[in-house]
Amino acid sequence: MSELDLNFMSDIAGTPRGNGILVCIQCGRCSSGCPVARLTSEHNPRRLMEMVILGLRKDVLSTQLPWYCLSCFTCLDRCPQGGDVGDVMFAIRNQAVKQGNMPAGVAAQAKALYETTRVINPIRSAIDKRASLGLGQLDNESLGDVQKILKRTGMDKLLPPT
Amino acid sequence: MPELGVELVDMKGANCCAPFSIQSVDYYSWLALAARDLCIAEEMGLDIMTLCNDCYESLLMVNNLLKKNPELKDKANQILSEVGKEYKGKVEVKNLVDVLYGDVGIDKVKNAIKEPIDGLRVGAQPGCHLTKPKRIHFELLRGFKELDELIQATGAESVPYERKEMCCGGPLRDINDDLSRSISREKLRALKDSEVQAIATVCPFCFLQLDLGQLEVKRHFNEEFNLPVVHFIELLRMGMGMKLEDWEIKSHRIPITDLFKGRL
Amino acid sequence: MVNKSVMVVGGGIAGIQASLDLANRGYKVYLVERSPSIGGRMAQLDKTFPTMDCSMCILAPKMIECSHHHNVQLLSYSEVKAVKGTTGDFVVTVLRKPRYVDITKCTGCNICAEHCPVEVPNEFDEQLGTRKAVYMPFPQAVPRAMTVDKNNCIECGLCIKMCQAGAVDLKQQPQEEDYNVGAIIVATGFDIFDASQIPTYGYGRYKNVVTSLELERLLCASGPTGGHLIRPSDGKIPRTIAFIQCVGSRDRRFGATYCSSICCKYSVKDAVLIKEHEPNTTVSIFYIDMRAFGRGFQEFVNRAKSEYGVRFVRSSPGEILEDPASKNLRIWYEDTVAGRIENAELDLVVLCPALIPSKGSGDLAKVLGAEVDQYGFFKAADLITSPVDTTVQGIFVCGYALGPKTGDIPDSIMQGSATAARVAEVLEGSA
Repeated sequence: MSELDLNFMSDIAGTPRGNGILVCIQCGRCSSGCPVARLTSEHNPRRLMEMVILGLRKDVLSTQLPWYCLSCFTCLDRCPQGGDVGDVMFAIRNQAVKQGNMPAGVAAQAKALYETTRVINPIRSAIDKRASLGLGQLDNESLGDVQKILKRTGMDKLLPPT
Repeated sequence: MPELGVELVDMKGANCCAPFSIQSVDYYSWLALAARDLCIAEEMGLDIMTLCNDCYESLLMVNNLLKKNPELKDKANQILSEVGKEYKGKVEVKNLVDVLYGDVGIDKVKNAIKEPIDGLRVGAQPGCHLTKPKRIHFELLRGFKELDELIQATGAESVPYERKEMCCGGPLRDINDDLSRSISREKLRALKDSEVQAIATVCPFCFLQLDLGQLEVKRHFNEEFNLPVVHFIELLRMGMGMKLEDWEIKSHRIPITDLFKGRL
Repeated sequence: MVNKSVMVVGGGIAGIQASLDLANRGYKVYLVERSPSIGGRMAQLDKTFPTMDCSMCILAPKMIECSHHHNVQLLSYSEVKAVKGTTGDFVVTVLRKPRYVDITKCTGCNICAEHCPVEVPNEFDEQLGTRKAVYMPFPQAVPRAMTVDKNNCIECGLCIKMCQAGAVDLKQQPQEEDYNVGAIIVATGFDIFDASQIPTYGYGRYKNVVTSLELERLLCASGPTGGHLIRPSDGKIPRTIAFIQCVGSRDRRFGATYCSSICCKYSVKDAVLIKEHEPNTTVSIFYIDMRAFGRGFQEFVNRAKSEYGVRFVRSSPGEILEDPASKNLRIWYEDTVAGRIENAELDLVVLCPALIPSKGSGDLAKVLGAEVDQYGFFKAADLITSPVDTTVQGIFVCGYALGPKTGDIPDSIMQGSATAARVAEVLEGSA
């Protein structure tokens, strides 16, 4: 276990989507509904909240822990405190990315977004199928705009190097 | 859709709505990208209908956030000014169920059914974002009652089952494929236990996860379900007496030819 | 001339206490109760915590005292419809609902009910048991008289034929009567949160998911099963039971964001009761916090753990699922102390729902002109200086009608006495 950073909780609470962490009473209702937590002890929303509250910044942000979330919002639905657990998970992931941590799959999608405006691009067979069905080519008309936006928000700097 | 009186217009120049993965990367990028799509719709003077649950959740949430929160709206517009757009908050975000149930109306849908699919036991998969989070979108979530009624309108029976709200596992694709498969396996097991004959999805991601996913589950866990998966629109079209095209039939990894004999 | 008369609205323990205190002081008390008998929630309970006294045994003597006291007039099966006036001179219009039975003649012998052909769910047993269309809500009812439920009565006339006292009168009409009183005390108690609003718990769909009040009726000797704890779906004795705390309470999704304050205590009491009935049963309580405040309660919790083997699991389960064949239940929860997600199969699940203002108390508040808080409970005029006064002069409130800051039965009794003292103070006053 790493050192405790006592500012971690308030830091997360200060980010967009993060302030639900402040009302967590660790009742466990979120984790008891989480489909992923049922299958693996690695991911557990309540424990993640606990680690944020305790200040285990490194353990939370530098590991895979927050990334097994499905964003299915079951946790948010169940929380009696209105803690928006699902949203706090996004806030945690935002912080993790700022520290340079994101799984390869997510990084690939972000990169694809920047380069083609789509997070997933069709494979060759799909492109051919589209053509045979008479569906037009996928355009990237919005590429210029997308890149301008991502440069403005600074997300382009968070992308992995080519 | 034209038969039901709905005209769908392609959004020219629309960008990716910023699904779950992008939301995890950066908040303001999400806001701006989704807002850009909302602006395009505003410029067209039309409401948005999404076909995918991830898009629905993304655009709906951003629309709500920006409508309710003037500070956020200003921030988003600051970023959008770079690309010459301004979000004004004039459009609604709807999904397929909204449009069919709300705008077209259940009665019109019922009347359009010429060849009811009587007796088919269907397990509906509304998808996470049509059923949650209730606390935030309560009146807008039409994944249960409304989707059930639409399925029933086609003559089929929407079978109740325990895990209806549960996720299909899609979002974990490419991040942790093993977990993704395990979750769809749980979902498929719940559906199988309720003795449904087919699964009806509303979201293409769920469709992929539960259709192609069955092959993956078979390969990795050696468990077979043989549950045909259809998109709700296909059910509707069959009920309206339309035939599915060849390529549509072939794109189902779990074959649907036996179950829907004569309708295809 | 001081108007030394009071109307007490609500015949539960708080209202009964207030009535007796004032009656003993020489006040004329009109005790209004909308159901056929006084007694309230306490009459539905089996045993009270932490002394494990039989609830009816403590309550019944007070109920009888009310019925015999020369200063107390029971207006049972009645409701307050309108109020005019002010302290010292209120005119209250009370609707006397027709029982279709003359209570001066009825002896409560029950022969009419034995012959009545109509059976309907019994509200007193929380719909678990049945009663007849002519009925006495429970054996110790005060006044000791039958009531005809005209909505379900088929007017077959059998009760009239069988009644030796000629007490049945199906022609009775509702009557409105005016009462001139110096003060009014509200003691309308509570209802329970409708747990079917939380669909993931399956209440209303799964037969073996019950509320704590339903459990009380199952445990009570006067209840639908004669005090044998059997489970609703198949009458088997449940061997694994779970209590789930905070169903609706402390929950921002439903408005009852407060702690209902007695559920931790009564669930431990019920758990111990169950273990006494059936020592081989595994009883688990799933809680967020175990709030056992006050004298004797923490010790009681400790005893429940060490002597009776009640399992305490710090966890709030997210969902309950039912096995369609056995009707057994499966709950998924995370044991937050161990940090593990687990599931358990159970024969019976007891939900501890939030306690909410009594149905109709909102209408009563409007009639009285009294303010209610954001949850619908009667607002005290001032929490420190006048904690049992409502926001209307001359109208007071006690018991759970005031809200969940009351703890348990002794607190309701205390508040009843407090309102009695306030009434006396105000009416006899500084004059």
